[in-house]
Amino acid sequence: MEPLHDLTIKKFQDGLRDKQFSALEVTQAYFDRIKKHDPEIHAYLSLAEESAVRDASAVDVAIASDENVGALAGVPLAIKDNILIKDLPATAASKILEGYTASYDAAVIGKLRNERAVFLGKTNLDEFAMGGSTENSAFGPTHNPHDHSRVAGGSSGGSAAAVAAHFALGSLGSDTGGSIREPAAFVGVVGLKPTYGAVSRSGCIALASSLDQIGPFAKTVEDAAILFKAIAGQDPLDATSVGTADYSAIDDLEKSAPLDKIKGLTIGLPEEYFIDGLDKSIADGVNTAVEKFKSLGCHFKKISLPHTKYALSCYYIVMPAEASSNLARFDGIRYARLPGIDGSLSDLYIKTRGEGFGPEAKRRIILGTFVLSSGYYDAYYEKAQRTRTLIARDFTEAFKDVDVMLTPVTPTPAFKIGEKTADPLSMYLADIFTIPVNLAGLPGISIPVNGTASAANIGKELPVGFQLIGKKWHEADILGLGRYYEKLDQA
Amino acid sequence: MSSPSIGKKELEHLAKLSRIELDPAEEEKLIKDLDSILDHFKELQALDTSSVAPMTGGTDLVNILREDDPEKGGHENTNQGAGVDAFPASKDGYNKVPPVFE
Repeated sequence: MEPLHDLTIKKFQDGLRDKQFSALEVTQAYFDRIKKHDPEIHAYLSLAEESAVRDASAVDVAIASDENVGALAGVPLAIKDNILIKDLPATAASKILEGYTASYDAAVIGKLRNERAVFLGKTNLDEFAMGGSTENSAFGPTHNPHDHSRVAGGSSGGSAAAVAAHFALGSLGSDTGGSIREPAAFVGVVGLKPTYGAVSRSGCIALASSLDQIGPFAKTVEDAAILFKAIAGQDPLDATSVGTADYSAIDDLEKSAPLDKIKGLTIGLPEEYFIDGLDKSIADGVNTAVEKFKSLGCHFKKISLPHTKYALSCYYIVMPAEASSNLARFDGIRYARLPGIDGSLSDLYIKTRGEGFGPEAKRRIILGTFVLSSGYYDAYYEKAQRTRTLIARDFTEAFKDVDVMLTPVTPTPAFKIGEKTADPLSMYLADIFTIPVNLAGLPGISIPVNGTASAANIGKELPVGFQLIGKKWHEADILGLGRYYEKLDQA
Repeated sequence: MSSPSIGKKELEHLAKLSRIELDPAEEEKLIKDLDSILDHFKELQALDTSSVAPMTGGTDLVNILREDDPEKGGHENTNQGAGVDAFPASKDGYNKVPPVFE
């Protein structure tokens, strides 16, 4: 069996079909590796060994009986712990949900079950997906596989690290302001945030309902496309999910995004994203990506997204407002109870939430409550909603002249654990390139400049990612471009 | 230095609204953090947004109604009834909570 380092979903599919290995063997190999090496990384919060072994074995039985199995049959995946898998823990990395077991599957989990994917376990995140480093987890941070003294990014740090450290073949995360794309860039894997509405949010513990999207992490763009296809689609339990986009061929990028189509795309470079404060390694990395695309024959155009600088303020008003509403349900009554809290019903609420939420969660809930409160609503929340219209409109206008945009993902590579925790605002500033994409509801993908972490380059230098932003429902454009970028490295 | 954007009394009001008990150290830190964050938001005041409507969500979809029929309208894999087993404290199938009235 090939070492786990070199395995991709595509290679796994081939190997399984050609009987080079069984699904059970691979699942067990992952658990062996996780138990040996994850204590240093802390990508996982809980493992699902019993059910994973059962599901992998069932796939082997099906294959042995010549049953037709789907694209993801037996593929070992890691799932962010804010996405519900029935009968497994769902903590959202918060003490307030410690001990809670999910009572139903998220819609995306149901879809992956239909494909007979295997769930290895639940991964670490910033508490309730609030953060950019996974340092806000109530259960300890996730370490960057390339440099254990650095963050893996957030909020989906565990899911990103699990793929980068070869603890899973792919994973799911969620992205509200960059929480898939930023950790992907920090650990050197591919991370896709779909168009808002492409993937159902049912069973994903809500942070900001107008911004959240579930998306895949993978070692290659091709793998990301396979995972995206499996989870996309309308769901009656999510009224904002859409069925009109046709993603049926998205996993066949050769067909849906052939080279002559890719060469014909105009790539915009928004000037507001290429600021002076950009770390040199990021600027160099993005330049490398631009040159590689030019060598493919792609055309570039300088564009402007004039309201970019207001995106951070807009986001940090809208998102906490929605979060304060979504987190009101955690009252000590419904899901889990913290031990040792006595008193009246009111005491139960205020003490559970006081003890159960971490500092960042409390900060955002209070901030959200403030901007929605009487006397401040117009000046803050409504103002931010109007600003959002302008930011979304910038993209609509610019997409009249270009098909795709290329930008940095983060201003710096992965920072040291503890470096930004004293000043919340400095942490928020790490999101400046990813946030506008969520505000506008567009698809965005983070792709490593120098290829995914393989056995060869892990730990050599800090990964740098670049971001491709597409028009709504045009994941094929950004996945297609990404796939040709990858192929250049393999040439 | 000018007074912080959110004073102690204001913060206590917000804590009450959001049903979160804060200790004095937390209150002090929050006042400081929120002051710096709200200061950053001042830039929005300069932006002219009078000609645009607020964007109220993430989608262009318009809400519709379905038939009020549990058999017809619901999803096959509805999670109706889910969570009952997870009640932290229960009696006879009811979620047990401290008395609402003291």
